Amino acid sequence: MENQKFYYDNKIVKLFILATIIWGVVAVLVGVLIAMQLAFPAFNFGLEYTSFGRVRPIHTNAVIFAFVGNAIFAGVYYSMQKLLKARMFSDVLSKVHFWGWQLIIVLAAVTFALGITTSKEYAELEWPIDILVAVIWVVFGWNMIGTIVKRRVQHIYAAIWWYLATFLGIAILHIVNSFELPISLFKSYSIYAGAQDAVVQWWYGHNAVAFFLTTPFLGLMYYFLPKAANRPIYSYRLSIIHFWSLIFLYMWAGPHHLLYQALPEWVQALGVTFSIMLIAPSWGGMINGLLTLRGAWDRVRDSAALKFLVVAVTAYGLSTFEGPMMSLRNVNMITHFTDWTIAHTHIAGMAWNGGIVFGMLYFLVPKLFRTKIYSEKLANAHFWIATLSILVYAIPLYWSAVTQWLMLKEYTPEGFLAYPIFLETLTQILPMYTLRIISGVMFLTGFLLMVYNMFKTMAAGEMEANEASEAPALVLQGARNPVKETVHRWMERRAVRFSIWVFVALFIGGAVQIIPMVFIKSNVPTIAAVTPYTPLELEGRDIYIKEGCYTCHSQQIRPFRWETDRYGEYSKIGEFVYDHPYLWGSRRTGPDLARTGYVNGPMYKNAAWHYQHFMDPQAMNEKSIMPRYDWFARRKVNLDMTPAKIRAMQTLGVPYPEGFDEEAVDDLIWQAEQIAADLKNSGIDIEPTSHMVAMIAYLHKLGGDIETQATPIIEETPNTENHEAGE
Amino acid sequence: MKLVSNLLESMTGIHIFYVAGLLIFLTLFVVIVIRTMRRPSAEMNEIKESILIDNDSEESMIS
Repeated sequence: MENQKFYYDNKIVKLFILATIIWGVVAVLVGVLIAMQLAFPAFNFGLEYTSFGRVRPIHTNAVIFAFVGNAIFAGVYYSMQKLLKARMFSDVLSKVHFWGWQLIIVLAAVTFALGITTSKEYAELEWPIDILVAVIWVVFGWNMIGTIVKRRVQHIYAAIWWYLATFLGIAILHIVNSFELPISLFKSYSIYAGAQDAVVQWWYGHNAVAFFLTTPFLGLMYYFLPKAANRPIYSYRLSIIHFWSLIFLYMWAGPHHLLYQALPEWVQALGVTFSIMLIAPSWGGMINGLLTLRGAWDRVRDSAALKFLVVAVTAYGLSTFEGPMMSLRNVNMITHFTDWTIAHTHIAGMAWNGGIVFGMLYFLVPKLFRTKIYSEKLANAHFWIATLSILVYAIPLYWSAVTQWLMLKEYTPEGFLAYPIFLETLTQILPMYTLRIISGVMFLTGFLLMVYNMFKTMAAGEMEANEASEAPALVLQGARNPVKETVHRWMERRAVRFSIWVFVALFIGGAVQIIPMVFIKSNVPTIAAVTPYTPLELEGRDIYIKEGCYTCHSQQIRPFRWETDRYGEYSKIGEFVYDHPYLWGSRRTGPDLARTGYVNGPMYKNAAWHYQHFMDPQAMNEKSIMPRYDWFARRKVNLDMTPAKIRAMQTLGVPYPEGFDEEAVDDLIWQAEQIAADLKNSGIDIEPTSHMVAMIAYLHKLGGDIETQATPIIEETPNTENHEAGE
Repeated sequence: MKLVSNLLESMTGIHIFYVAGLLIFLTLFVVIVIRTMRRPSAEMNEIKESILIDNDSEESMIS
């Protein structure tokens, strides 16, 4: 058959590579800044826009969606064209995708700095940007599927299966987790409440790791590792088993982020079971990657690209063993809420994702620019600095996690907590936070060496924006011949059918968790004493979200003696039924705040204490690392929005009385004046409608409802059958 | 929809769902493994080597 001439679009690959490099430097730089803030609070600069709670989401989103995201697109756009022997479906869609994604990144950075956030980790973007993300993601998928349709090869190679799973997985996750009720252009409330919101969020959070940080990278591994080593992948059979097992199992495992928390037992068991099972397919991928180099290890010695790829695949194996181990309950009680999780995510991020990206760039840039890498020595220096920095990051944080956990659970012979003040345990691990800064600076140094090396390589070579190639046109084979072709082999040339089965595999795991948690009311027993937030408390809660307080403080007391002695009664699922969104947190850099409103509990502080603490935490305790929030005293609550917030809550099912929205402002002012009067008695003059008063009202609400119960707390299960049985 | 939501709200014994899911997965897993392993080696080799036959493999990185 006669060959068709066509041209690969290299320009779009180059644009995504440049974006990867630029955003990568920004992401690591911001990471170093927040590492410095955690060790030395002066680096919060006393400004609201640069405080840890607002900057931390900039770091995580910049790493995940800006650095890693652009790298995924660079690799996908390059490898898809080569694998399918076709130019991308549409140059216009490619450009819209590229510039749209960069716009999202800029909007994310600006809105987070301004405190515009939903508070849901890795999904903090507010609703207009969520919609933009969905549109651009569809553009990416449209371009990708269009390219598959117009391909010139019969068979769709394994790497592309992973790309399809990425597209479908992220689409499902993003849509389901982003159901919000907008009340203005920059403010919305999650439609899910409390435990339901937590399950949906960690189904999303866990699978964002799966379908943004794992599946596309496995696709890149299946393409770039064989290409860089010039050897075929070790086992194609293993790639099939590995693919279907991994995408099916991943979706079930999200609840392992919520062990020992206010969640039904079956959901937690589900998360643990499927997390352990995930080891098998994950290691299938690792083994397939490493054995690809069988008989070619001598090449690793001479290639920085291969070195990075080998470390990446090895780290993938380590992380995917560590993750399931962390989901075991007895391990999870140590790792959750401590720095262990931070170390775990950074090994995966710096070594697995970073390693694949760096390996891909060292392979791809010389190839695109038809030259050799400018300096193999600099590339090797980058490799060793980056690898060492990962160790300097992880080891101190593992040490920190175990140290803090041991201190938190230490008792005196008399039966009292040995370290009753949380800050004592934090002060002990601060030297480890200093080591983390050193690690970040090392990683950044290596990165900058790569930037120099890449730009010198680009300058030395010349890229062909439209690279000529030729291949015969695809003649579709038609119906399956059952004798000659297995079902999977047939599916491998039928992109739409393949995608439908991928969707089914992904959907089952999500549906099994989300549908019962949202619809089956017996999963969320209510507590009669728990009341909705007053308008002032609701405003305070929104400020808590805006400032990112949840990045350092949890609101979830686990049923361990050392937690209940320190923080108060363990958290109940029924306490969170009016929480849109949930604010349980995932790391305790500061103490848990779930019972700060429990007057007779260990966490209660009066209004004057909170005022002084927000104004200058170091004046209260010079070793505190909390940023100051003195603008709370100056900023005023926007009372124009309060009625709309109450109406939104009513729409979401919070039982405010009919017409309460019209009384909301009066109610708010009445409560605010009480708190302002209380502060006045302590010699503090403050405007009742200030952020400070709203925050104090909110903190005095937390966990206080159950205190009003004279009798033991009775959780009411609104399940008809259970009621009948009780009667 | 009301019928569906009523049905879901009154559902009990949800904890057996994940056990059922586990069994479904294991069954499918065994089937996929057996069928995949029975695929001819020649076919597998042809597919996995296809990405290297495009005059684009990397030798320049490897001295």
